Amino acid sequence: MRMPPFTLHTPANLSKALALATELDNFDWVAGGTDLLPNYKWHLNPKPHVISLGKVSELTALSGTVIGAMVRIHDLAKSEQVHPLIRETADTIASVMIRRSATVGGNICLDTRCYWFNQTEEWRRSIDWCHKCDCDTGADCRVIPNQNTLCVATYQADLAAAFIALDATIHLASGAGARSMPFAEFFQLDGMTRNVLKPGELVTHVTLPDDAMNWQGAYQKLRLRETWDFPEAGVAAAWKVEGGKITGLRVATTGCESIPGDHSELAEAAIDEWTGKDSIQKLAEGVRKAVKPVSNTYFPPAYRRKMLRVLTRRALAPLEHL
Amino acid sequence: MAKGYRQAPGKGGDKKRTDGKRVAGQQDFGVPGSGGSNPHSNLQDLDYVPESVGGWKKQPRGPHVHDRHITGMTIGKSVPLVDSNWKITGQAQYGDDIRLPGELIGKILRSPHHYAKIRSIDVSAAEAMDGVFAVATGQDSVNKFGVLPVTKDEHAMAQDKVRHVGDLVACVCAIDEATAIEAMNAISVDYEVLPSIHDMEDGLKDSENPIHDRGKYHIGESNVQKRVFQQFGDLDGMKKAPYVHESDWETAGLHHGFTEPHAVVAHWDPSGRLTVWTPQQVPHYLHRGLSAVLDIPMHQINVHRTFVGGGFGGKSDPFPHEMCAAILARKSGRPVRINFDREEVYWINRGRHPSRIQMGVFADDEGRIAGIETDALIDGGAFASFGHVTTYYNGVLHTAPYEIGGFNYTGARVWTNKPASGAMRGHGAVNSRCAVEVGIDAVSEQMNVDPMTFRLANLLPPHSRTITGFRVTSTGMRECLAKVREQSGWDEKFRNLPLGKGIGVGCGFFISGSGLPIHWDPENFPHATVHLQCDMDGGVTVHTGAADIGQGSDTAVAQAVSEVLALPLDMIRIRSKESDTAPVDLGSYSSRVTFMNCNAAIKAACELRDKVLKAAWEITGYNPDVLVLGDRRIYYKHDPAVGVSWLEAVHKAQADVGSLIASGAYRTPPMGGVHKGAAAGLAPAYSFSAYVAEVDVDVETGFVKITKAWAAHDCGKALNPLAVKGQIIGSCHMGMGQVLSEEMKYGRDGHLMNPDLLDYKIMSVHEMPDVVPIIVESNDPEGPFGAKEAGEGPLLPILPAVCNAIYDAIGIRIDELPVTPDRLHKRIEKHCRKIGIDDPLDLPVPRFEAGPLQQKLAERADAHAKRDHLRDIQEDRSSYVNGVLFGFDPDKPMAEQKEGWREAVIPTAEDLADPSKRAARAWGHVERRHRGDD
Repeated sequence: MRMPPFTLHTPANLSKALALATELDNFDWVAGGTDLLPNYKWHLNPKPHVISLGKVSELTALSGTVIGAMVRIHDLAKSEQVHPLIRETADTIASVMIRRSATVGGNICLDTRCYWFNQTEEWRRSIDWCHKCDCDTGADCRVIPNQNTLCVATYQADLAAAFIALDATIHLASGAGARSMPFAEFFQLDGMTRNVLKPGELVTHVTLPDDAMNWQGAYQKLRLRETWDFPEAGVAAAWKVEGGKITGLRVATTGCESIPGDHSELAEAAIDEWTGKDSIQKLAEGVRKAVKPVSNTYFPPAYRRKMLRVLTRRALAPLEHL
Repeated sequence: MAKGYRQAPGKGGDKKRTDGKRVAGQQDFGVPGSGGSNPHSNLQDLDYVPESVGGWKKQPRGPHVHDRHITGMTIGKSVPLVDSNWKITGQAQYGDDIRLPGELIGKILRSPHHYAKIRSIDVSAAEAMDGVFAVATGQDSVNKFGVLPVTKDEHAMAQDKVRHVGDLVACVCAIDEATAIEAMNAISVDYEVLPSIHDMEDGLKDSENPIHDRGKYHIGESNVQKRVFQQFGDLDGMKKAPYVHESDWETAGLHHGFTEPHAVVAHWDPSGRLTVWTPQQVPHYLHRGLSAVLDIPMHQINVHRTFVGGGFGGKSDPFPHEMCAAILARKSGRPVRINFDREEVYWINRGRHPSRIQMGVFADDEGRIAGIETDALIDGGAFASFGHVTTYYNGVLHTAPYEIGGFNYTGARVWTNKPASGAMRGHGAVNSRCAVEVGIDAVSEQMNVDPMTFRLANLLPPHSRTITGFRVTSTGMRECLAKVREQSGWDEKFRNLPLGKGIGVGCGFFISGSGLPIHWDPENFPHATVHLQCDMDGGVTVHTGAADIGQGSDTAVAQAVSEVLALPLDMIRIRSKESDTAPVDLGSYSSRVTFMNCNAAIKAACELRDKVLKAAWEITGYNPDVLVLGDRRIYYKHDPAVGVSWLEAVHKAQADVGSLIASGAYRTPPMGGVHKGAAAGLAPAYSFSAYVAEVDVDVETGFVKITKAWAAHDCGKALNPLAVKGQIIGSCHMGMGQVLSEEMKYGRDGHLMNPDLLDYKIMSVHEMPDVVPIIVESNDPEGPFGAKEAGEGPLLPILPAVCNAIYDAIGIRIDELPVTPDRLHKRIEKHCRKIGIDDPLDLPVPRFEAGPLQQKLAERADAHAKRDHLRDIQEDRSSYVNGVLFGFDPDKPMAEQKEGWREAVIPTAEDLADPSKRAARAWGHVERRHRGDD
């Protein structure tokens, strides 16, 4: 198993990195490398140039409301300053060893995953390649053949659900300047495009609203083993309780489609007539209906959908008696 | 001054340290040193010497023939494996650690098609590339090989067709890996794709292009590779039995999941001999395979087994890539190394067969097991491998530990266009044993009898003959059950736990060494041979071909020698790696190594000991009858002060002859019946085990968590309790993977979807329950110091114990493995709909109320316990005959006593009448040679 050769660049700061990015026309960013390097070993869309962000110190800020893209997941999980929901979520990602290298930005930009894609080159040759890595053959999607427009590979990063639930803002930068947007708007419904990042653009940091600490939350993750496994479905919920009443409720899902799902409209609608258990039940059913997983990960899609209902219910269990 | 006898009397002063530690260059021994890490010799450790020879070690099951060889050194003591420091410090050399000067890297081109004819292969572009030294294809290796002599169906590379995705097509070797990959991709192959089959039931049908052609021995035009039929006993009585549990099991294929991917280095030395370094479980069969494929005599080949990074049956076939490395090395004149990537490991596979097993367990009014009826169809993948044997094992290993009234087995193995299945820990017995034990649980429930009691009232006693003629010697089944029952608190918990919490029991039975060697010619060849050599230094070098694959066979054989010669373990050196220096050993399969190799080692050590004792006699004047061996010293039984050090005696014995050598060998005794297939499952001893597992089932998600397991295994005698416990705990982990998560998943186009360790779900440390290993010692009369196997048998019972615990928790009978959350969730939903409840949290939980049979069976179990104890300690070792419980006279042929008693290995039309039985369909074909159409 050999990686194809590439040129590694290690700019010392953000401006140099962005400048380099405008010069190179075909490259990947690498942060912790825990997603990119296995994909490169499997020859999944490798690029001739790789720009490492390892020495870019501007991206490592970490406070209650600002989380830099190069913060290690392990540090995120262990930091007292970080919102408990983010900590809880970070603590479920992959394994201890991987969390030591993996970064927040890398997790947010995790490549989408699919049984027909995350395989070795020899394996993919045996299925005549696929849409997402067609090796110039124009191959069809192997999950849903004959549709050949969008890639349905699954977005299986945990943090996105928590960030959406906490109404975070994501900040990007490129040679052309910086921009920011609500977290959910970062994603684009296609397993290949994945997100709004333009060539040469990167995620710099994520900010949480100033009152984030007044929100509580929970993250529920479906996976076979309590370590390593990517989420087959994940539900993050965040709520604000004031004077014994729920004044805010947001729910987000991950691991089910090509992008994370923001179900906050459903959730907001539910709090108007909150009746505890029944409301949770109804909301959970709504979340189940809102996502449509396909058969390209370990568990069958029907099961993942049904489990969304259970996970949502369990995430919202603290609100049962309100 | 420490107690004991100074090794070299009169030598060494007070300034020497007495704490037993050696100081570099200042050893406390006279020159030449007498070895061992303690300068003082100890008396025999009587705590470990059996009562029968004057020690203090209790022997509840009577004396053993090896008692007089016990010196109290290491047997029965927990010792770390002798090679553990090598592994722990990272210095052990595995397959991939072998580096030879000038080595080339080999790569294998594999089939992208499930099934295709090869029209042509063009290697010219690859051969023309810079840095490429050789390219080989099927044309370079036309000779067949295969682990079993009766089913040689493999080639180093495809001849005319490829049979599964990943099948070997060609190979290249080049100066480095990148060049080799480039060259591999430059080979162009023209295929004609053939229709492939993936479902095992399709393998039963006629095919235009059977995956293999066995000529006149081919079974019709089908893809049936092997079929088995065995009927024994009173099958009419079985069919009339009032309590019946019939189930239809579907079990997924498994891979061994060993850590070390396959790796091989081949080198032809200047004298024209081939050396192959490879992590092999069975170096001897590779030795034979290389000789056949390369057309060179065996004496021109040295098979060098490296450290093995886990085998579990997955490294016991001779492999095509090993042939490829040798072929490339011959063509290029340079050493060639081939390392596998993980998906290649899955493509070569040889893991557990995917199976569909129809299982019937029958019980009569007396609470006896009236019969076991099995129809097992197993999916062999593209090659035969060990499948011939697996097809038998799926049935014949049901004939114990219970006394049964009838046995009806039909088995078939088919070829499909998938990676080949083969032998995996618990070979052939695991899936069907799970089905039997779940059936036992279900009929117990129908009878309103505690399944513990039901089992205890139906066990074969020690020294039995099973219904098909296996000779069971020792059995600790009863004690295993009793211990797990007591320690798990079974009587309080069974059918008393709340919804979602359950407890279950399962038993296991496994061979301790296959009685029939795979290569049985020449017929009188021993199964294992051990050579010992003792030179002037006093240490003993053991030459054995037994392959240590991590199970600790080097340690076991070192312990056996150490024990007989009363030498500390650090004076025993094991040389087990090279076929040039090791006597032939059949290898590490069928849990045979401890049993056979240690028996051979004991014989060799006794021979060496007798030479040294004779010398001691000459020195001390005392006859060997009154001499005792105790820790590097031989002394007069009645006055330990009178004696001679090991070294002095050895030197005396070496006068005129030099180095002392000795040899010992082991062969199984003649046993078993004469019917076709009688030798399958025959073993010189059998292991038994009983586990209780406790589970938590999340009824909303279908997740099962094993919270605790009590695991009692009868290994005859724990030569090294530490190693036995390790095997038990490791088996629990592996079995837990099979029952809950591990499977080779095939996509809708027949592709293996999870050939990697992320998606092939081996359970992690987080899922591992607390396992309480319980060692039961039944003191096998033929085992070395009483020992039997502990490597495979301990895996079997965890599966049914978990399945039965799931039933106890939620009232759903499992018949599909693995019990992944999605599968169980589906079953829970179905069950809820069936009984008309909406919320799974309202599921009713099974409860137990003892029926009238309970008391009767408990009394029978008590009476049998007394019977078994007597049979353990009496000298008469004639066999109890299966059938006595059913009123048969053991001294007369059964067939004369019961009309309709069957002993058949060929089915009648009536036997095959049921169209729902799958393996039976394999018997619908006529073997070509009997068809009369040519």
